Amino acid sequence: MAKVNDDAVQAQLPLPLPIFHMLLALSEGERHGYALKREILRRTDGKLNLGAGALYGSIARMIERGLIEESDERPDLHLDDERRRYYRITRLGRRVAQAEAVRMRQLVQLAEDCLGLPETA
Amino acid sequence: MKRLYRALLKLYPARFREEYAEPMERQFDDEYREAEGWGCRAWLGLRALVDFARTAPGEAAREIWQDVRHGARVYRRRSVTTALALAALALAIGATTGIFSVLNALLIRSLPFREPARLVELWQAPLNAGAGRAEFQAWQGRSPYLAEAAGYTTNELNLSLSRGSARVRVSETTANFLRMLGTEPEFGRGFAGDEDIPGRDGVAVIGYGLWQQVFGGDPRVLGSTIRLNGAALTVIGVAPRGVDYPEKTAIWTPTMYDLGRIPKSDAYFWQTIGRLKPGVGMAQASGMFQAEVERHYAGQARPPRMKGYSNDPHLFSLNDRLAGPVRSASLVLMALVAFVLLIACANVAHLLLSRTTERRQELAIRAALGASRARLMQQLVTEATVLTAAAAVAGLAVAHWTARLAASAQPAQLAAREYTLLDWRVILFALGLAVLTGVVFGVLPASLIYRMQPGQDVIRTQSGLRGSGAGRMRGVLIALQAALTVALAAGSFSMGRSFVKLMGTDLGFHTDHVATLNVSFAGTRSETDGRERQYYNDALERLRAAPGVESAAVVSYLPLISKLHPGGLFKLDSGEQGPVSIVIAASPGYFRTMGTEIIEGREFTQNDRAGAEPVVVISEDLERSFGRGSLAGRKLNLAFGGAPRMATIVGVVRSERYSGPEAKGWTQVFRPIEQAPSGSVTFVARVRGDPEPYLAVCRDAVQEVDPEVPVYDVKTLDQRLADTLARPRFYTTAILFLAGFALLLAVAGTYGAATYAVTQRTHEIGVRIAVGASLGSVRGMLFRQSMLSVGAGMLAGVCGAAGLGRFLQHLIAIAEPTGVWICIAAAFVMATATAAAVWTATNRIVRMDPTAALRVE
Repeated sequence: MAKVNDDAVQAQLPLPLPIFHMLLALSEGERHGYALKREILRRTDGKLNLGAGALYGSIARMIERGLIEESDERPDLHLDDERRRYYRITRLGRRVAQAEAVRMRQLVQLAEDCLGLPETA
Repeated sequence: MKRLYRALLKLYPARFREEYAEPMERQFDDEYREAEGWGCRAWLGLRALVDFARTAPGEAAREIWQDVRHGARVYRRRSVTTALALAALALAIGATTGIFSVLNALLIRSLPFREPARLVELWQAPLNAGAGRAEFQAWQGRSPYLAEAAGYTTNELNLSLSRGSARVRVSETTANFLRMLGTEPEFGRGFAGDEDIPGRDGVAVIGYGLWQQVFGGDPRVLGSTIRLNGAALTVIGVAPRGVDYPEKTAIWTPTMYDLGRIPKSDAYFWQTIGRLKPGVGMAQASGMFQAEVERHYAGQARPPRMKGYSNDPHLFSLNDRLAGPVRSASLVLMALVAFVLLIACANVAHLLLSRTTERRQELAIRAALGASRARLMQQLVTEATVLTAAAAVAGLAVAHWTARLAASAQPAQLAAREYTLLDWRVILFALGLAVLTGVVFGVLPASLIYRMQPGQDVIRTQSGLRGSGAGRMRGVLIALQAALTVALAAGSFSMGRSFVKLMGTDLGFHTDHVATLNVSFAGTRSETDGRERQYYNDALERLRAAPGVESAAVVSYLPLISKLHPGGLFKLDSGEQGPVSIVIAASPGYFRTMGTEIIEGREFTQNDRAGAEPVVVISEDLERSFGRGSLAGRKLNLAFGGAPRMATIVGVVRSERYSGPEAKGWTQVFRPIEQAPSGSVTFVARVRGDPEPYLAVCRDAVQEVDPEVPVYDVKTLDQRLADTLARPRFYTTAILFLAGFALLLAVAGTYGAATYAVTQRTHEIGVRIAVGASLGSVRGMLFRQSMLSVGAGMLAGVCGAAGLGRFLQHLIAIAEPTGVWICIAAAFVMATATAAAVWTATNRIVRMDPTAALRVE
């Protein structure tokens, strides 16, 4: 795989929130679309509920930008429906998610310096 | 609900749908299973709907943008073809929209009146307002078909301004005129029911435009006094904007029964309009009107018929009457333009797609790589839509130009009927046209995709399509196009010939080197003091003294100006009655200035003055109509009845065509202007060289005589002729342009089809040459086959041309039916052009390497 260029990573930032969440969820392993949606729903306490159009729209964008790719492997054919598609994160995707997290950390630090944040929100 | 969701998914753009419709459906199934109870499921459905509404437009925009970019790349590679296609479409869409804006104004947009469909004009009604108020009101009261009737007469009069005066169109009406039309004044009041009683009628309603221009939109105009030809009237109201019926009227007065109140020397003409009773249809009313006419003239002589001028009583719908002769002409033009649009669409489809196998291969390769038919369809339809949209935008410029051209050639009779593109109907029409053409040439080629065998097309160029539905369709299209083009070409030749003939018509006078200016004394001191004769002489003296002026004269009615002339039936001293002739007063030097040939006798001299022996000069056709040989020295009775007023015929001149080259017009009787002074006259001056620069000099010379007398409508005689010919010129240009355009399209289309045939049959040609056929014979075979459909179409076109000829008479009065020679000429032009196109297309056979051709498969 080609070496991932820093500029290419920076050019993708900032990430839309749903995409960031999806990258985080995929970093733990391959998932199909619906599982992704459920996972994000769980992680955000039901606040980010992606509709099918928004979900697959984001997936299409992420594939175009090389952040994720479709996976050929199927975990277990008995359990699965052939209509499902599985996705996995690419190296670029991982780098971009990291860079986004760094960007956010810097932002939070800046906020802390300016405002002084309480221990829990 | 799941079915509904599946249907919703179909609305996503093709590529997205192919990629994700299945997992999305699956996901919906899962969620649906998990949701329990109808409440949850309804909520799920609602969320799905919102999700769709939020994401589908974005996805569609994204894909369309990709398609557009891809299309742009494809078309940039064939920029000449694309530019041609765009230009063809833009011209076709633009011309069609432009003509439609005219039709829309004339036929579709309703008149600015209340219930305009029930308004009628009674042409030559047996009884009109001239019969007097009581009689007219009694007549309308007992009419079985009219709820109400109103009368009017209209003239151009002098409106006195603080400095000098202006010519304005004034309609003298019955008091109910505006109210019957349903026109409420913008402010102030309309005429009261009894304000047309002489003595109470010194009031006027002024038009919105006049109010703005002359009175600066000042509301204090109400109650102020205006002077028309010297008669004082009180302004009581201002008409709403856009109301200028009849004939662009600027001032209405209720003086219909009191025509002497505003002094005028012009002829007047009682016109009657009415509103049909509710429940009485046009046909029924027309029948009742005709019956009334029959009763009225029972046992009496009808008014004389005039040649080329319908004097028969007739009931018209006001709507048709205002659209006038322009209506059928515009319909004919619309039909022709629509045909050309059709040809253009078919051709553009051809030009862009079927011509190039290159594109088929591209599509085939994409199909082999997994693009679905729906995806390719979407690509083609997007390309087509973008092209048509671009063409439509360019077309708007063409449409604007067409509408302006039409407006100058056949101006609308009402301000409310100005041709405009800024009307929702026109805009809708243009949009519809763009969509329709986009579909026609987007979907037609796209349907090819459905016949495409993916996989096969990649390696083989499609042989064996000949004789298939597409091949036959193409043949029919070519034939149809050839037929339409030949018919149009024949029509345009015939129009062109008629127009040239029109231009070459001997008018009886020469229009070059002549400046003309109108003058009206009405309401000025020159009139009230009876100083017209003095004025004529002063003005002529000044004109003749002006540098460059060779001769000058004054005349009461100049050819090409007025449509209304005083006239009548005159008897010779021996008692024979001639045809209806018009009477014109002219000064000495008139015939010399106009270049009218004096055939016999003499022209007027300074001695033919008031009090001297009455003399006349008659036109040659009047002399001929008596059939008595030379009439010089004989006497003509100028009285319309009562005691005879004999005048000696001192000269005979070449007949002047008063209304221009299209109509023969009436026979003429000229009187010396000193013996028959006129309140509004035209001065004519023959100058050396171009008369244009002399117009100002001549105007100043005449204006100096009396600043109070308005000098207006200063033009060269050539300009007046051009104005008269504007309509036939517009139609002729339009038809010639359409025919040329159609011919171009036909040639391009035939060329495209022939090229297509050659590339398609490369292999077959290779085989033929390999087994010994000569290049020439193969080429001849292709040539014959290509020309077959053209020939068949041309035959049909020649037959169609005969039919078209009749329609052309709506456009140009003297158009003749298309003759055999014209058809042959058109067919010849068409055959030569297409033959050349096909021959060029088959050229590539000559360059073909037979072995290479064999390897194509």
